[in-house]
Amino acid sequence: MERASVTLPVDITVTVNGAPYARAVEPRLLLSDFLRHEIGLTGTHVGCEHGVCGACTVTLDGEAVRSCLMFAVQADGREVGTVEGLAPADGPLHPIQEAFRDAHGLQCGFCTPGFLMTLVPFLRDNPAPTEQEVREAISGNLCRCTGYQNIVEAVRLASERMSATP
Amino acid sequence: MIVEGEYVFAGPRELVYRLLQDPEVLSEAMPGAAKLAMVGDGEYQGSIRVGVGPVTAAEWKLSVALRDRVPPESYTMQVDSSGPIGFTRGAATVVLLEVEDGSTVMRYRADLQVGGRVAGIGQRLIDQVAKMMTKLGLDALSRELRARLPAGELPPAPPPAGEPG
Amino acid sequence: MGRRYVGERVRRNEDRRLLTGHAMFVDDVQLPGMLHLAFVRSDHAHARIRGIDASAARARPGVAAVYTADDLGDYWQPGPLLVPPPPVEGLVFNEATQVPLARDKVRHVGEPVAMVVAESRYLAEDALADVLVDYEPLDAVVELEAALAPDAPLVHERFGTNVAAFVAQRHGDYERALERADVVVSRRFHYDRGAAAAMENRAVAARWDPQAEDLTVWDTTQAPIPIRNGLARMLGLLESQVRVVAPFVGGGFGPKIMMFYPEEVLVPWAAMRLGRPLKWTEDRHENFFATSQERGQVHDAEMALTRDGRILGIRDRFLHDTGAYDPYGLTIPINSQCTLLGPYDVPSYESEFRAVFTNKTIVTPVRGAGRQHGVFVMERLLDLAARELGLDPVEIRRRNYLGPELFPHNFDILYQDFAPLYYDSGNYLPAMETACRMIGYEDFREEQRRLRAEGRHVGVGIVSYIEGTGIGPYEGARVTVDPSGRVRVATGLGTQGQGHYTAFAQIVAETLDVEVERVHVVTGDTREFGWGTGTFASRGAVVAGSACHAAAVAVRGKVVAMAARLFGVDEEQVEVAGGRVGVRGFPERALTLGELARHANPLRGAVKPGTEPGLEATAYFGPDHGSTASGVHAVVVEVDPETAMVEILRYVVVHDCGRLINPLLVEGQVQGGVAHGIGNAFYEKLVYDDAGQLLNASFMDYLLPTAMDVPRVEMAHMETPAPMNPLGLKGVGEAGAIPAGAAFAQAVEDALPEYGLEIREIPLSPGQLFELLEAARATSPHLQEAAG
Repeated sequence: MERASVTLPVDITVTVNGAPYARAVEPRLLLSDFLRHEIGLTGTHVGCEHGVCGACTVTLDGEAVRSCLMFAVQADGREVGTVEGLAPADGPLHPIQEAFRDAHGLQCGFCTPGFLMTLVPFLRDNPAPTEQEVREAISGNLCRCTGYQNIVEAVRLASERMSATP
Repeated sequence: MIVEGEYVFAGPRELVYRLLQDPEVLSEAMPGAAKLAMVGDGEYQGSIRVGVGPVTAAEWKLSVALRDRVPPESYTMQVDSSGPIGFTRGAATVVLLEVEDGSTVMRYRADLQVGGRVAGIGQRLIDQVAKMMTKLGLDALSRELRARLPAGELPPAPPPAGEPG
Repeated sequence: MGRRYVGERVRRNEDRRLLTGHAMFVDDVQLPGMLHLAFVRSDHAHARIRGIDASAARARPGVAAVYTADDLGDYWQPGPLLVPPPPVEGLVFNEATQVPLARDKVRHVGEPVAMVVAESRYLAEDALADVLVDYEPLDAVVELEAALAPDAPLVHERFGTNVAAFVAQRHGDYERALERADVVVSRRFHYDRGAAAAMENRAVAARWDPQAEDLTVWDTTQAPIPIRNGLARMLGLLESQVRVVAPFVGGGFGPKIMMFYPEEVLVPWAAMRLGRPLKWTEDRHENFFATSQERGQVHDAEMALTRDGRILGIRDRFLHDTGAYDPYGLTIPINSQCTLLGPYDVPSYESEFRAVFTNKTIVTPVRGAGRQHGVFVMERLLDLAARELGLDPVEIRRRNYLGPELFPHNFDILYQDFAPLYYDSGNYLPAMETACRMIGYEDFREEQRRLRAEGRHVGVGIVSYIEGTGIGPYEGARVTVDPSGRVRVATGLGTQGQGHYTAFAQIVAETLDVEVERVHVVTGDTREFGWGTGTFASRGAVVAGSACHAAAVAVRGKVVAMAARLFGVDEEQVEVAGGRVGVRGFPERALTLGELARHANPLRGAVKPGTEPGLEATAYFGPDHGSTASGVHAVVVEVDPETAMVEILRYVVVHDCGRLINPLLVEGQVQGGVAHGIGNAFYEKLVYDDAGQLLNASFMDYLLPTAMDVPRVEMAHMETPAPMNPLGLKGVGEAGAIPAGAAFAQAVEDALPEYGLEIREIPLSPGQLFELLEAARATSPHLQEAAG
């Protein structure tokens, strides 16, 4: 009986990167699995499934959230932003993406979408952060490759460029 | 993991000892909707639902065997449980001491091994959960004991229940 | 002359795909009709399996199959021995490789016992609880010394012992050194290691195509070609029928090497059997048990010295935890044994180790691969000797470095590549001097006193290391000029973030004088390139990079020869520049490389005898010896003796990995390695209880360093070119992680001289440091007053 309650599909409509997706999903389906496997946006990565590593970070109504700690049904009627929505296909990269490239702020790139989706709302709210503020902002995102130094550098670069061209 | 402590039952030792061997009473007393059935002399089997912190409550199979029984003074309890998220096994020694005011002091010491997911993820919480479950169980036993005592025999209000250590 | 790309800070070719979320990782593979897997894993560290009842799981809706060891038939075989033991005289090696599914006994928590295949991962996990395994628990072997006790339970009964291996190597005459010694320093050291913790967990997907009769396997492996070869053998297929693709891989760090993990072996088998594509993706919890780890060693080591601090000899006896199986042979303890000698002139050395089976997850190399254990022991012995002799830690190192005139240098012991330990080149003293200058070593004591007067406890640590990198056997590459004028490069390695798509492109771009962005590199797809070994031992750039260079040189030769024929001039008159080829001095007589490629593949007319169509060449590179990278790490820490908290104030790395292909990439590798090393020094430890249960199997309890914990690394490069390869390259992938523990220990001791601490154990958690401080206070009443 208890199983039925979490596996009986529920109709939801989630707007992802501006496009609506209507699906019938099990209530227990994680938002991360919904994005990756139901609608095929595999840019959002799953690193721990317990909310520590931050690789699965997306925006929900503009704020950064862990998509592995949410059920898809909780996003019903709401607006999700993923890494695929940052730059148009074949268009220029988002300034934060560009800065990651210029500063070598990524290596294997698995954690990178989570960092980007954490940083988009962060730099919107705090366009000229100090290094300490940047480090605090990304302290909920784990990276095993870079030692964070070039990520911090990329954020500085992005913040400079974004404030120069409003 | 060691769980040990002392608990005071407001009732005579014989009755406490008897209650502790009664599967129905034990089922009632154990938190997590335990169901225990006697399957042999001093051997019980059943199930219990337990969750630890981030680990979802799940049904565990439970078997309990009482050994080295010296009624109404002491016994050891061999516990084996396993579920989809891990297992616990180990032994507990229980000693019952008569106190002059007619109540009974229980001293217990359990050495339990915890394994599987519950060990790897719930570690920070296991001790607390074990202590909490022990306390809940003993409090329930204590209530059962008082219910069974004839009104006249009820000793004066018991001292506060000892915190399981 | 052509443009120079090698040595430049070139931005990466692969970044756009990764930054936009379009790079494909294995878990992104989604195929029609795909089924998903989950594994029933042992909750016990050591238990006999009395029986398995999977009937309820098989009957569950959505479950396609459940397999136990008995269902595998002849396919049930222990995995291959990946690295055989080296030919050392008197060596003992007890081979016990992992099995696909446990049959009679489980030997570590997390060992797979049954495999469930279902319509979704959710359904597969639901069914796990329905597989009932009847275990008879056995006492577990956990501690190394206890494992060797005569009455210890046995991980593998057939050996009658828990000793997995015994190796003794010697160089020179240590007994004589002891006789001549003025001072002998002797201590016990513990060095424990943690999880590799790549951000991407492992994953395997497989599809059998019955029409083409071929098998495609997507695998998060560092070594797709050995996996292809092994799977073909196991499944009775031709190597050409198996394609293994390691697409973008989210960090490797060792455990994603060609392990032939149970899941890696079973997913392709089940895909063929069921005729459906399958996928298994490890979750983080599984990763803590099912992915190999590195683990502890206990060293009893001594160093004999003259009064003026010159090393006469070293003797080391150590135990190495190999976990429940030893499929990776002796690479880690051999690395420890060999790397201990470091950049120093050590006239005599006696080293023996026992590898020990325990009921814990399998131990295989993790970034550094045992080298940090050796470096820690050596550097600690030098520090203790310096203290005893009243010498400065820098001075004692200075007196013992191998001078540049001593290269190439040979020690009479065998390294992991089975060749005598050979230092191809190095220049150690200048690196130390540079590090001292950068960290301000000369003025540091004064600064230390000044801060001490303010009540702050700061200390400096400065240590050296070497790393044998770039070992054989070989790698290969194919370079092709595409008719579009872009250049295609294929090599057999796997890539996990090192920047191969760019580094190899730079090498080829420089040789053929085309833009780096116009060189398209493919790695990790056996259909693109089918010969090679893999990415490990800091060898990718050195060995495959050299092969790319050789192939590009050959293509350039073809370009020049073809152009000379076409234009009717001597080859000396042909000029290759800016993506064009033509006659020097006659700019109008030129073609683009793409046009020349079309000429090289005609639809009419004959390809001349002795020539080949196309502008393409394949080349291989196999070095006789590895190349020896080296460096110095210097760190300044501040310690609070009350709380035992340690803060890293500065971190300096002077690193010599020969000629740099791309400083941007090298710095990234070193920064990441240092972060890994810092984690290992202070945060990361896999904690097992007496029953072999891992107690911190999540990122909530097992702490990876965050952006708040890792300092900015200040870096300088030395470039002592390697003589063993044409570009002068040495490896860099692991270096950052290797000396961090040793530097950290020295710095913490230096911050608290009055405590007389001896840090002989890594990781040094705040808790352990607190205990050391308490113990010092207990024996020295003046410390209590000072602290109070």
